Amino acid sequence: MRIEPIRAAGGRPAHIRHDDDLISAKGVSVVMAKQLVLQNIDLAIPKGSFVSLIGPSGCGKSTLLKVLAGLVHPTSGGVSIAGLSPVEAARKRMIGLVFQDANLLPWKNAVDNASMLLGIADKSLSRAELRARGQEMLELVGLGDSAHKRPNELSGGMRQRVAIARALALDPAVLLMDEPFGALDAITRDQMGQSLLEIWQRTGKTIVLVTHSIDEAIHLSRHVHVLGIKPGRITESLDIGLPYPRDLSVTEDPEFVRLVVQLRTMLRASHQPGGAS
Amino acid sequence: MSDQPITNLSEPRLASNWAASTSSWLPAVILLLATIVAWEAVVRIFAISAFIIPAPSEIAKSLVAQWGTLTQATLVTAGEILFGFLVSVVVGVAIALVIVRFDWLGRALYPLVVLFQNVPKVALAPIFILWFGYGLAPKIGLILVIAFFPVTLSMLAGMQSVDRSLLSLMNSVGASQTQILFRIRVPHSLPNLMAGTKIAATLSVIGAIVGEFAGASDGLGYVIQFASTQLDTALVFAALLLVSVLGIAFYYAAEILERIVVPWAPKFSQA
Repeated sequence: MRIEPIRAAGGRPAHIRHDDDLISAKGVSVVMAKQLVLQNIDLAIPKGSFVSLIGPSGCGKSTLLKVLAGLVHPTSGGVSIAGLSPVEAARKRMIGLVFQDANLLPWKNAVDNASMLLGIADKSLSRAELRARGQEMLELVGLGDSAHKRPNELSGGMRQRVAIARALALDPAVLLMDEPFGALDAITRDQMGQSLLEIWQRTGKTIVLVTHSIDEAIHLSRHVHVLGIKPGRITESLDIGLPYPRDLSVTEDPEFVRLVVQLRTMLRASHQPGGAS
Repeated sequence: MSDQPITNLSEPRLASNWAASTSSWLPAVILLLATIVAWEAVVRIFAISAFIIPAPSEIAKSLVAQWGTLTQATLVTAGEILFGFLVSVVVGVAIALVIVRFDWLGRALYPLVVLFQNVPKVALAPIFILWFGYGLAPKIGLILVIAFFPVTLSMLAGMQSVDRSLLSLMNSVGASQTQILFRIRVPHSLPNLMAGTKIAATLSVIGAIVGEFAGASDGLGYVIQFASTQLDTALVFAALLLVSVLGIAFYYAAEILERIVVPWAPKFSQA
């Protein structure tokens, strides 16, 4: 398998291991129920970058994210996050996770939900410290005045903001997001994407986003990796050269439109099952 | 779904709630009153003997005449129900926690609990009398074996239906099984547990009455049995009425408890 070199900001090929890489996966394969879910994934994610993984259903992009999070162990190959295994990195609160379902605790209000994982991870923090941290994170995601609302009083988008606040409360090095806006309507989705960009720029976190939206991938990320099916593998990588800060008007930029066409072509190709190419 | 907050339950809605609940109660109340009037009329017109079907007015007379005996019996039965219900909830919750927390023990215990559920427990009443005598103990024992199961089963269902992603989140920050149990699984199970508790409240009433039928010298079950041997059917019905009132009271007590314990449950947050 050959990967086109991605030109990162510094002009170096991004898939080559470098000191600036926060996450590097080498030869990761995953076999589940005798199926080859992921085949020989090589991935390098520079510190502070925004990377999207896109591909057809069943390409294993969610599994790849779970491998990076230490929730799935690769059958062969390995992942390093700042020199640590994913499980070690997670224990050191370096990984923040956001899933499609916000998974808030319905009996806790927004601020207690936002600090819930931090409270588990760091038992030395007092209730007041946790609250303060939760409140700070809610303000970061634009929910500062909804701290005392329970999840059933929040809309879908707001619940997802709390889920992002909960992940950020750990002060992780990397935010791993699995279709976080997949259940939201188009307009809310745009707003959430824009908010995420702003959070990214303010916090400098490394973000890995699994999505199946072409627009979302191009709007938000610096690099897009396309995964193909049968077996799940990285078929193409695309560097998004649009300058930051980006807002929604970027979607009308001719370069954006060109990238959409290019990515769509790549995705179409990725729907074709293929062996090792 | 827009990014706007959903309005919370507010005071103005209470007024319309009252109106809505009145109109939903009214047909049932009318039917009940009509049934009582028809019952009275049929018994009088066809001159049905009072020891076969007493008229509502006869039942009311008996209720007043025997008020002292009946209140005393009601208190005894209510005490058995309350005590037996609390023991059932405590034991039911404890069994559910043990099954979930200790995997190996759970796999040993769960099939036995299910197997035991198939024993016709009403039939255990004579054995309990034999073992524990005629006092409070056999009634509590009988209520326990009848009522703990829905508590255990509902709490288990609640604890085991926690979303996998949430467990992934907890595992990723290194949460222990005990932390996951008490911070996530137990609170998550409370709406289910409360539903099971309401079933247990109803079953506790049955347990107490069956226990008293099998052998007692007091309580509403005893009054029913004694009155039927005396062919005092009006008194049987009067006691039956009080048993029903007890059943309704315990059910609604459980429902109020539910509102206090799980105000965040999905059933309370629907508009």
